[in-house]
Parts: sequence; structure tokens; C-alpha cells
Amino acid sequence: MASNVSTKNTNNSNKNGSSSNSVISKLKNTFGLQQLIILIVLFLIYGLFAALSPAFRSGSTLTSIFDASYYVGFLALGVTFVIITAGIDLSIGTSMMCAAITGGVVYNQLHAPLWVALLVILAMATAVGCLNGFLVAKLKLPSFIATLGTMMITRGLSSILSNVQTETFPLRGTSDGWYKSIFRTSGDFPTGAIVLIGVAILCAIILNKTRTGRYIFAIGSNREATRLSGVNVVRSEAMAYIIAGFCAGLAGIAYAATYTTIMPGSGAGFEMDGIAAVVVGGTSLAGGVGSILGTLIGTFIMTVLKVGLPYLNLQPHYQIFITGFVVILAVYADIYRNRKKNQ
Amino acid sequence: MKKKILFGTIFAALLLLVGCSGGNSSSSSKSSGGNSKNIEVVAKGFQHDFWKAVQSGAKQAAKEQGVTMNFVGPKDETAIAEQLEMLNNAVNKKPGAIALAALDTKAEIDAIKTAQEKGIPIIGFDSGVPNAPKGAVKATASTDNYKAGGIAAQHAYDAIKARIDSSATPPRIGIVSQEVNSLSISQRTGGFIDKMVQLLEANPKIGKGKVAVTGHDKFKNKVNASSAKAIIELRVPADVTDAAGKTEASALLKKNDTICVYGSNEFGAKAIINADDSVGGRIGNTEGKVVAVGFDSGKLQINAIKSDKFLGSVTQNPIKIGYEAVSLAVKAAKGQKVKNIDTGVKWYNKDNVDSKEIKPLLYQ
Repeated sequence: MASNVSTKNTNNSNKNGSSSNSVISKLKNTFGLQQLIILIVLFLIYGLFAALSPAFRSGSTLTSIFDASYYVGFLALGVTFVIITAGIDLSIGTSMMCAAITGGVVYNQLHAPLWVALLVILAMATAVGCLNGFLVAKLKLPSFIATLGTMMITRGLSSILSNVQTETFPLRGTSDGWYKSIFRTSGDFPTGAIVLIGVAILCAIILNKTRTGRYIFAIGSNREATRLSGVNVVRSEAMAYIIAGFCAGLAGIAYAATYTTIMPGSGAGFEMDGIAAVVVGGTSLAGGVGSILGTLIGTFIMTVLKVGLPYLNLQPHYQIFITGFVVILAVYADIYRNRKKNQ
Repeated sequence: MKKKILFGTIFAALLLLVGCSGGNSSSSSKSSGGNSKNIEVVAKGFQHDFWKAVQSGAKQAAKEQGVTMNFVGPKDETAIAEQLEMLNNAVNKKPGAIALAALDTKAEIDAIKTAQEKGIPIIGFDSGVPNAPKGAVKATASTDNYKAGGIAAQHAYDAIKARIDSSATPPRIGIVSQEVNSLSISQRTGGFIDKMVQLLEANPKIGKGKVAVTGHDKFKNKVNASSAKAIIELRVPADVTDAAGKTEASALLKKNDTICVYGSNEFGAKAIINADDSVGGRIGNTEGKVVAVGFDSGKLQINAIKSDKFLGSVTQNPIKIGYEAVSLAVKAAKGQKVKNIDTGVKWYNKDNVDSKEIKPLLYQ
């Protein structure tokens, strides 16, 4: 994690120009502090639910939390890259469901083996990511508009490709049911948590240890300055959208494994769950700042709220209501931090 | 320093929010741990009037039986993932029993099996849990749609009997059925057809083997329409849009020998009402008009009944569905033997549409 923090500090210190050593260490402390705080908030929310509801304190509830976190988690991990470039990707939710339903068509209607269908899901979502990258990085469309367009395209495409039919993936216990064990074994062990954390580590390495990752941070801080210093910004920026697309594909597989049935035209709104998790995790919508660990914690804050609130016998609309407050508070923290930084 | 204060505030606000919400309901969740006194109800919807009525019946039963009941449902009937999460939560709470109206049994099969392994009995209600693993669902409280279709046929027949006796040409009875694949709607259609055939054949003017059923392969019989003394014609629209429904209903109403039409759900009834406007008012309760009967409710259909366009309609009893679902769940939680319950239907017409008995069962 130390490397993660230091990368951001490098960027910030670049921006601040002649910041002294003491300022750097101060920044370091505050960023470390922020992730620590949301981690504490996560545990406190969990503890609160556990204290209020005995039924919440069971292993099976923890499995439910993991089950609900996978697709949001993958979406959030991918879109973290885009948000760090100061862009947004609204298409991830529908693109994930479009890819998943395409996989279903390939499996059910074209009778391809299941592993082919799963690869099709990844390929489809990555292709949408490539399109987004092309539109935003190459053609310079505003990311909000470009991905709003691809959001509608993928939403319509899922209905077209599936002929407005629901696609059902194989059930557990059938000969092709093995893919469900990627995320939860028949003994209810949440193997998906390992997959999610594995992908998160991979994302952290790309973001902090590779040149592409550093360029993505730089583009978010100051795109023009990055371009002038000789960086191929088109390639790096497009890469962020492609990663978001690939992760949406992973989310599609996780969704199919967890929920089995994919409805045509669905997925609108999922992107907001993912973006909210990123924002709660402390990544700035202004770009240039962000961390994978924060996104992961943000994802679990969102899902613990989602799974936990019904244990207090609250109806779904209360969950959305309360989650909304969490998002607003998190965004305010982001704005507050930026204002402080610019002072 | 300021930053610390900010995060402190955020944190306190979070705690407060979650704490408040907990406080509201902590009294109702207090008795958990007792388990067999807790019943979880997972419905197919929440906002719709139909589900509100189901919930009120469920509440009543929970109160009478002295159990804690938690009623949840997804935002609409396509939100399968949302319902699955609700069912998972319900199972994790280890209640005495779960009442479930499944949106998609296949998607929920893992959760149903987990409930079975944990020894939590499941009670189906409304459309129940079709194709559930053996032994998981102990009993179902639902409408006997086949019988309900027959009730509509009986009322329709009583209204057209005199006309059959005096008519020179073979009378035609038309049906608009939204589709013939789903179990509930095809049972309502089939129940109507079978009962109507039986009633017509019992009429000495028509006689056995003289009623032709035409229009769809699923229900067609071997009687030749040209030699039949009465014809039942089933119309199934190409797709579930008001326009397609209207086309089929118009085709029925335009035939001069049609004396009765039946819409086997809200969609079918609506199709008849929409078509009637375009053919210039063929349906009604007065002499010489086509007798119309419907199923379910909805604003158009209730208006048609109040304005003497429709003879009457059959409605399910959502309050009883909720009541019986929870009652069965309580019994199952105690380990008692339970069996399926027909929650019954009610016939309503102009006279009782606003009565205390009928009004709560209808939705606009």
C-alpha cells in the first residue's frame, strides 16, 4: 500500500511544485488516514448491524455480503481507472449485462461450451471499453456523453441480441455448473472474495507500478501538461476505458454466477453503484487522485449497507435513501479535500 | 485539524443515520432468536395495489397468530436479483418459515436448497414456487385459476341462456387471452372453455358434441365449426400490446353471431373495452348487446362494470392469499402438516363493486 500512497504523493508534489518535505509527509499521513477512516467506518457499520441483529452475525450473512459485492466490486475497480483520468464511464452497468446476456445466447442458443461463453462475456465488455476509449481519447468526446451513448447502445443491444428473451445460465449441480464455484463453492465458501482481491491487487499493480498507471494519474492531474511532456495520452487514456470494460466483463461473469438469470435491457443503475463505491473509497472525481484499496473498502461499505439494512427490517427504499446520504457525504469529503489542497 | 473534525462529523452522521433506522425497527426484530415465532414473507412486488392487499392479509394473520412477520418484495416483477437477495436475507435470519412467491425458481434454487438444508419450511403463495426441488415447498396458498375461469363461464352462461334458446343461428362466444403459455392465464382460459362447453352441451337445443372450440391449437376440439350448434372462438394476440389486443377483440366483436366475450385477465378485458369503442359500442348489459365478462380489475374494467358495459368480472382474493400464506407458514414453523389452499375468487358486478367485501380486493 505504501507504494500506492507514494505514487499519489509524487503527483501532488509535482502539482504543488516546490512543496517542502514536511508538506509531503503531512499529505502522506492524511491520505493514509483517510483510508484508515473509511476502513474503520466499514467495521463500525458491520459491528452496528451485528449488535442490532443477531441473525446478521452469521457466516452465511458474510457469504451473502460477498455474493452481493462481486459485480459492484469489479465494476468499481475498473471505473476507478477512468475516474482517476478525470473521466466517467456510464456504460459499465449495461455493458456488463449486455456481455452477460450475449454469453447466455452463445451458450443457450448457439450451444457453445460454457468456457467459450465466459470468454465471449469478457471479449464483449472489453470491446465496449475499446469503443469508449476510442470515442473519448481519440475523438475527444466528453466522457459523460460518449459513455451515455454506449450505455444506451449496450442496453438496446442486449435486447436485440437476446431477442428480448431472458437468458438462464446453468444451475449448480448440472454438468456446466462448475463456473458457480469460481465465486462460491457448493460448501458455501466465498471463493469469489479471493478472485476479487486478486483482481484488486492486479489493478493496484497496474495503477502504481506500471508506466500506464502513472500516466493515468498524470492525465487526471493535468492532461495538457502530460501531453506536452511527450506522453502518448491517447493510448493511456484509452487504456483506462479498456480496463473498465474488461472489469465489466468480470462483473458480468460474477453476476451470471450469482444470479443465474439475465434479463434483457437491464443493468442501468449498476454503473452508479460502482461509481458510488469508488467515490466513497476516496477517489476524486476531479481526477489525479485515487486508490484501489479505497475502492475495495468503498465497495464493501456499499454492500454491507445493502445487505445489512434489511436485517433491521427496513424496506429497500430506506436502503437507497441511506446509501444516498453516504454518497453525498463522501463526495463532500472529496470537494473539501480539493479545496484544502488548492488553498 | 479541520479535516479531522469533518471526518468526525461524517462518521457521527453515519452512525446516527444507521442508528436511527435501527431504532425504528428494533422493537419488531427483538424477538428473533425465538425463530419459530418469526415468519419471513418474500413477495413478487411491493408497490402495486395487489401486493398491498396481500400484505394487509399477511399482517392480519400475523397479528392473530401472535408472530412477527416481515414482508418484503422487489420493486417490480422483473427484479429477479433483488428478490434473490431478499430471499437470501430471509434464509440467513433463520425464521420459523418463509412464504415465497418466486419470480424465477431457477435463479433462486440455491437459496431454496439452503433453506431446505437448514430445515426452514417454505410456503408458496400467489403463483407459488413452480418446479421447486422436491420437499422444499410444504404447501401453496393460491387462486385455483381453472375453477375461477369456470365461475366466469357460469355467470356468462346465465346471462346468455335466454338468447341461446331464442337464437336461430349458432351463437358465438369469444375469448381474448393474453397468451397461452403461462400457467395462470391458460388455466383461466381453459377453465372458462371447459365449463362453457359443459353448460352448452347440457342445453337441449345444442346437445353433446355440438360445441366447436376454434382459434388456437392448444384448446381446439374436433367438432367441425360448420356443423356445430355453438362456437367458442379463442383469440390470442401476436404480442402483449394494447394495439394487438384491440385487433383481436375487434375481430370478435365485428362478427354478427357473437353474443358473449370474455377477457381472461386485465389485458384481455382492456382489449375488449378498447375494441368496443372502435366498433361503436357492441357490448353492454341491455337487450341485443354482446355480454362481456372479465377477470382481475384495473381502472378501465371497473369503469366498464359501473357503466353497464361489462356484466361483471372475477377477481382474485389477494387479502386471503396473504392471510393464508402466513397462516400456513405459522403451521409449518410449528412442524404441523400443511396442504395446499385455494384462496378462492369473487364475482363482482355493478351492484357490489363498491361494497366493503369487494372494494379492498380491486386495484385501479
